[in-house]
Amino acid sequence: MTSACEATTRVLPGAPVIELSGEVDGSAATVLTAAYEQAVTASLEPQSTVVLDFAAVDYINSTGIALIVSVLARARAERRKVVASGLSPHYREIFDITRLSDFIELFPDLDRAVSQITHPAA
Amino acid sequence: MTQVARPAPGKPRRLDAFTLASEPGNERLALARVARSVAGFHLQAKKLERLKTAVAEATMNAIEHGNGNCPEIPVEVEVTQNGDEIIVAITDQGGAAEPGHDPQAAEEPDLVKKLDGGQSPRGWGLFLIRNMVDAMDVTTDGQRHTIWLIIRTGGAAHDERM
Repeated sequence: MTSACEATTRVLPGAPVIELSGEVDGSAATVLTAAYEQAVTASLEPQSTVVLDFAAVDYINSTGIALIVSVLARARAERRKVVASGLSPHYREIFDITRLSDFIELFPDLDRAVSQITHPAA
Repeated sequence: MTQVARPAPGKPRRLDAFTLASEPGNERLALARVARSVAGFHLQAKKLERLKTAVAEATMNAIEHGNGNCPEIPVEVEVTQNGDEIIVAITDQGGAAEPGHDPQAAEEPDLVKKLDGGQSPRGWGLFLIRNMVDAMDVTTDGQRHTIWLIIRTGGAAHDERM
């Protein structure tokens, strides 16, 4: 299935970042899995925190939530934290309802997420 | 702006009715068209986004589970207003698929179990629907299966000229 989701991976010090855009649904599985692999492989720190940035995402459905759960499960097995940034108020609510926000710290934007990770005392 | 008096309770007014081919992704068409059909109510953004998510999830279920992703079997969508309620009925032909199966009784998704492998990562659709709308119901006549999504407009008036 063709995916309407795109992912760009960047590795900042201590924080590999996956910037998602488009639609996070079931068809995004290959894109998201590949981006996660690329992010953690490129990271210099073995247990770095992975940032998922949703600022350019306009649609997440239940199958997309399932993908995020799978990424989180894998990260936890690897003793990595996952944080998220750029979610709209509606999708923040969905992260709350599903309890994803109990396991994924949410930040308003990518800058604040990266700043918190790289300078946690700030 | 023309303010139109709401119909009395018990006299539903159809806002829109349409069908979609049962193809993955067509839930996006449903949510966009339902959003257009209720634009005149000027719903709060939060309420509109909730309705859109509920419509998308219910339509996905109809496409996938009700009609088995068969494009030639349409999903029917009807939007009506009854007093301060907007009712979206989404119908598939899966009413006879699993006799005795109550989708509302499906296991509640548990994120901890999902993270530990005790539940599939999937299974969020009905849970999201229930949490997005003010009320919902499911009816079946043995062939047609309909999910009814109800949201209350909170007194928002309808602009007929939309």
